Amino acid sequence: MNDRERQLMARIFADYYEIADIEIPGIEKREFGIGNFKKIDARHLSFANVQEFRRYLTTNTPFFVSHSTSYYDFPGATPIQKKQWRGADVVFDLDIHAEGKYGAFAKLDQVKADLVRLVDDFMIGDFGIKKEDLAIAFSGNRGYHVHIRDNRYHPLGGDERRELVDYVMGRGLDYTQFFSYTDTKPPRLLGPKPDEGGYRGRLARGVISLLEKDPKAISRIFADQEKREFFIGGIREGNWSRTSLKFDDLIKRAKPIADGLAVQSVDTDAGVTQDLSKLIRVPNTIHGETGFIARLIKDRADIDRFDPMKDAMVDMQVHHGETMMVLFTEDVPALSIGGETMGPFKKDERKEFKLGISMFYVLKGSASVVIR
Amino acid sequence: MAMGGGLDFAVSYPFSDSAKEAIEGIEINDRIIDLAIGRIGKALRNDPASKMLIHETDKKEDIASFAVARMILGHLRNNYLTNSFAVNESKMVHARLDREDEDTAMAVSSIFGINPIRRSQEKDRDVLVLDLPSYLRSCPRSPHYKLINRRMVQGMVEIRVAEWKRCVEEAARKHIERIPLLKDTPEVIKSAAEKTLSLLPKPDTSKLETIRVEDHPPCVAKLLESLGKHENLPHQARYFLAAYFLSLNTSEEDTAKLFQGAPDYSEKVTGYQVAQIKKRGYSVPACATVLGYGLCVADCRIGSPLNWHRLSKQRKEGIRR
Repeated sequence: MNDRERQLMARIFADYYEIADIEIPGIEKREFGIGNFKKIDARHLSFANVQEFRRYLTTNTPFFVSHSTSYYDFPGATPIQKKQWRGADVVFDLDIHAEGKYGAFAKLDQVKADLVRLVDDFMIGDFGIKKEDLAIAFSGNRGYHVHIRDNRYHPLGGDERRELVDYVMGRGLDYTQFFSYTDTKPPRLLGPKPDEGGYRGRLARGVISLLEKDPKAISRIFADQEKREFFIGGIREGNWSRTSLKFDDLIKRAKPIADGLAVQSVDTDAGVTQDLSKLIRVPNTIHGETGFIARLIKDRADIDRFDPMKDAMVDMQVHHGETMMVLFTEDVPALSIGGETMGPFKKDERKEFKLGISMFYVLKGSASVVIR
Repeated sequence: MAMGGGLDFAVSYPFSDSAKEAIEGIEINDRIIDLAIGRIGKALRNDPASKMLIHETDKKEDIASFAVARMILGHLRNNYLTNSFAVNESKMVHARLDREDEDTAMAVSSIFGINPIRRSQEKDRDVLVLDLPSYLRSCPRSPHYKLINRRMVQGMVEIRVAEWKRCVEEAARKHIERIPLLKDTPEVIKSAAEKTLSLLPKPDTSKLETIRVEDHPPCVAKLLESLGKHENLPHQARYFLAAYFLSLNTSEEDTAKLFQGAPDYSEKVTGYQVAQIKKRGYSVPACATVLGYGLCVADCRIGSPLNWHRLSKQRKEGIRR
C-alpha cells in the first residue's frame, strides 16, 4: 500500500469514526494502544471519555486501536507498576489458523461454532455469567473476542485466569474419572447423567446424541433400537451398565466424544486471557489489516445470523462513492465476501467492488486502488 | 469455640476486624516484641502449635504480636521470612477451623469473601457449593482442585467441607503474604527486625544459584524462579522438579538443596522424599501430566520436559518468546 492509498484509507476510517457506535465501559480506567504499521506502535494512552477518544480517532486515524482488559487508577502512567491495577475483564480470544493469506476467512464458520459453544455451554452454562455481562465482538480478522464484564471476575490474577482457559480448552481433562464401579456383584458402571453440569453432563449428552444420530459409531450393538433405548435410559439415571459391552471397552469408545467437548480455537499463544497487561481490539473499531469492523454483536441471538464477511464491512458511501476500482497485484483465491462469492482473481485484473470489499483487498496487500 | 466477634475469636484469627478492635490503642512493649519475634521463629521451625491463653492481657498481647510480626516483616521485605510466616499462620488457621462449629468457620471464611452455601436439595451434609470467582481466588494450585475435575453448574463449584477449609487456609496464606509497605519504621521495630534476622537459617542456596534457568524448559524455569522468590510450591511441583533434576544426574543431596528456599522447608522431609523418588525410579512426568498439574506455561510440543535438551537454540528461543 503506497502513501496515497494509505491516506485514502485513513480518510475512510476517519469518516467511519465520526459516526461509529463506540461504547467502552470504564473508558477512563483503561490503557489504550494504537498502531499504524503494526498492531501496537504506541501504548500507555488514556482517554477521559468517549468524546475525547472519538476526537483522537477522527484526527489521527490509527489503523489499529486496542484497549487494556485491565482497569487502572492511572492508565496513562509508565512503567506499568505505576498504573495501579484495579482489576480486569476476562477476555477470550478465539482465532483460527490456516494456510495462506486468505485461508482463515473460509473457516470463520468453524470459529463461530466454537464461539457459540463457548458462550452457551461454558460462559452461560458452566460459569453462570449473565448474558448482559458478556460482550461478544468479531476480532476484525480471524476470529472473535468474548469479554466477561462481570466485576466479580475483575480481581482474578493470571494463574486463576489460566485455570479458566484450561477448563474451556479441556486441558487436563480425564473423562475416565467420571466413571466408577459399584461394589455389588456383578458390579455396575456408574457415570455422568445428561442433566449434570460441566464436562460430565456434556459427555453424557454427547453420547446420547451420537447414539440417537449414528448408533453404530459407538457399537453395532446399538443399531438394535430396543438395546439402544435401554442403554440410553440407564445413562439418564447415571447407570451406564445396561449393555453387553465390556465396561472398559465402553469407556474407551466414549473417547472421541470426550475429545470433541472442549473449545480448541482459544488462542493461548497471545495470552490474552491470562496476561493482565494485554491490549485487545476496541469493539467497533476498524482492523487495519482487513478494513473489517470489529463489530460488537450486542445480542446473543444475533451470533447465528452474523456473517463477518458481510456484516463487518465498512459501508461508507457518503463521501467516497459506493464503489472503488482496484487492480490486483497478485492472484487471489475465490472467497465468499459481501454476501456473494468473489474471484478467483488473477494478477493485473481490474475490478470494481463495493467500498468495503475493495478496502479488504487493498489492505490485505493484494490490490492497489485505481484512481478514475 | 469462638463465634465471630469475641476476644478468643480475635486470638484465633488475628487478621479479623475483631482483632483490630481488640488491640486498638495498645502500646507496643517488650513482651509483645518478643512474642512477635517468637511467632516468626515458630514459622521458621514449621511449628503450627498454639497455646491456650487465659488472661485478657495475654490474649491482647498475642493478637498484637501478629500485627507487630507483620510490621517487622514489612520492614525486612524478606520473601523467605514473609512466606514462611504466611504458610505457618495459615496452617494454624486451618487447624483451628477444624475445631470450630460451622457458623464460626463460616464467619472466618467470609473474612476472605469465601461464602459457600449448602444447596437446599443437597442430602449430603458434606457437600457445599462455592461461586466460581471465589473458588478460583482461593483454591490451592493442584490437580485435585483443577476446575476441570470439579462438578460445576451455573457458576457454582461443588466442594466438600474439608476442601472448603483448605481453600480458607489458602486465602489466609495469600492475605497474610500481602504485607503492607512500612514507611518511617519505628526504632523498636527496626531493632526487633535485626533480632529476627539472626533467627534465619543460612541456607546453602549455592545449588540454586549455579543453575542457569534458561537451560531448562519454561515450566521448570518458572518453578525455579518461584523457588528463588521463596514461594510455596504445591506438592506436584516439588515432585516434578525433583524427578526432573534427578534424571539429569543431579545428586540426591544437590536436588534436595534446591528446595532450601521453600517457606516450609524441612531438611529431613525433603531428603527423604528426594531419596524415595530416586530409589523407586520415578520418571519425569510427561508434558501432558505437567499440564494436568497446572504447571505448563508454554506451548513447546516436546512430549517430555527432558526433550527440551534436544532442541536447537533457535527453537528454544522461539518457544520462550
